[in-house]
Amino acid sequence: MRFALPIFDVASLSLQINSQVILDSLSLKIFSGEYDAIIGPNGGGKTTLIRLLLGLEKPTSGTIKIFGKNIDEFKEWHKIGYVPQRASHVDAAFPATVLDVVKMGRTAKRGFFARYSAEDAACVEDAMKKMDVIDIKNKMVGTLSGGQRQRVMIARALASKPEVLILDEPNTGVDVASQQRFYELLRKLNRDEKLTIVFITHDIGVIADDIQRLFTINRKLLTCNNPKEAISCEDMSRLYGVDAHLLSNHHHHH
Amino acid sequence: MFEYDFMQRAFLAGFIIATLASISGSFVVLKRYSMMTETLAHSALVGVAVGLFAGLSPLWMAVIMAIFSAWLIEYLRSSFHLYSDAILAIFLSGGLALAIIIVSLGGAFNNSLFSYLFGSILAVNEDDLIAMGIFGSISLVLLLGFSKELFFIAYDEEVARTSGIKVKMLNYLLVTVVAVIIALSIRVVGTLLIGALMVIPSIAALQYRQGFLKTVLISLSFALSSVAIGMTLSYYYSLPSGATIVMCVIGFFIISLVVNKR
Repeated sequence: MRFALPIFDVASLSLQINSQVILDSLSLKIFSGEYDAIIGPNGGGKTTLIRLLLGLEKPTSGTIKIFGKNIDEFKEWHKIGYVPQRASHVDAAFPATVLDVVKMGRTAKRGFFARYSAEDAACVEDAMKKMDVIDIKNKMVGTLSGGQRQRVMIARALASKPEVLILDEPNTGVDVASQQRFYELLRKLNRDEKLTIVFITHDIGVIADDIQRLFTINRKLLTCNNPKEAISCEDMSRLYGVDAHLLSNHHHHH
Repeated sequence: MFEYDFMQRAFLAGFIIATLASISGSFVVLKRYSMMTETLAHSALVGVAVGLFAGLSPLWMAVIMAIFSAWLIEYLRSSFHLYSDAILAIFLSGGLALAIIIVSLGGAFNNSLFSYLFGSILAVNEDDLIAMGIFGSISLVLLLGFSKELFFIAYDEEVARTSGIKVKMLNYLLVTVVAVIIALSIRVVGTLLIGALMVIPSIAALQYRQGFLKTVLISLSFALSSVAIGMTLSYYYSLPSGATIVMCVIGFFIISLVVNKR
């Protein structure tokens, strides 16, 4: 089930910093409704790719289109929910309750002096229910466990009613029991809410059966399960190293 | 003590500054901009020196110099890969050095400069109060109007940016408002002490681990109480007002630390 217009349409994207190549002519498309994972070695450019997609960094060359619009002209950022990697390392003393943080998801939709509306309150409540943090809404975020905090960050992203959710290593600092539950929640959002989900992960074993497309990135895009773009798994072993075994197993399932 | 006009003006000025400093200070502290207050105060001192030297209004020159350096610091911080605390150190000592040179060129106004270094709240006149009232209100309206956005930026600047908030514009707005408030405050607590009035009430309030609104209100009440207690003590015991106010703020900080010890 793919719509003609991709949410993200990345073409020949390159980034060099001080003559070091971070990303090299990378092209990919992400379509509505997908549940995709990005994997790759550390320093391979996964996080950089996401930061480029979000406009936090500028590419050296190449184009990024979001919902058909060039990224410089794209204005509807509320359609994109972002959960950064360091979400689990929030300053313990920061004076914010869970409710305060989830409300931030509605901030960009309000302007100067505008108060939160009934619609905002409903979206915030709905997001907290979906991520199962409504019972802790008055707790200070600094006192939460890693898993709870992670769900709060996603609730904040959901509060803006995004069409796509981008997560950078969502399980850093989260215990194994919470991880399983966490991926179930993500999958449910993808299935029930038709929310497009793209995440960077290391937990390839946990999610391998569920994901629709797996993007392997090491400066270039090497995917194993999309025949048009794929290079062989032997190439992948050479470039990617230790995780290649896992990847090729995954490949044989399909 | 309220039978004297100058004491009424002093209390009014003190309360205005306490309100502005503690509310803006909450954002400053959460954004880790605490040292910015000290730096802008020293830049404002350059304005004071220029004003005294050239026969212009020291207050207005302080406002202009503080805004100018706030913008320059913010520009350097965002456009070059420099350590932001190092930039602040450069501006802090650079500002002081420049002010000293201008003062020494001017010669005979060391006494008035002294009052800008340590504050002389009893010398606050009607014009000062009017300037504080007008620019203080504008600053307060801007801070409160954008408080949701500033709070989000303080919590997570990058996510705020990706959600479509004009982070760069609001960062400039915040440092501008802070620069104005610092310049206005110099009369009351002085260049060397204003940082304390901005930063310490917020740090003290953070110890109570409440949500943002409550934290700001606690901070505000500490700042207002410190001004009231400090000025009363300074009146009856002939103590320097700015320094006494700052010692009261520190008192509240120590109490907050002890009460919330776990």
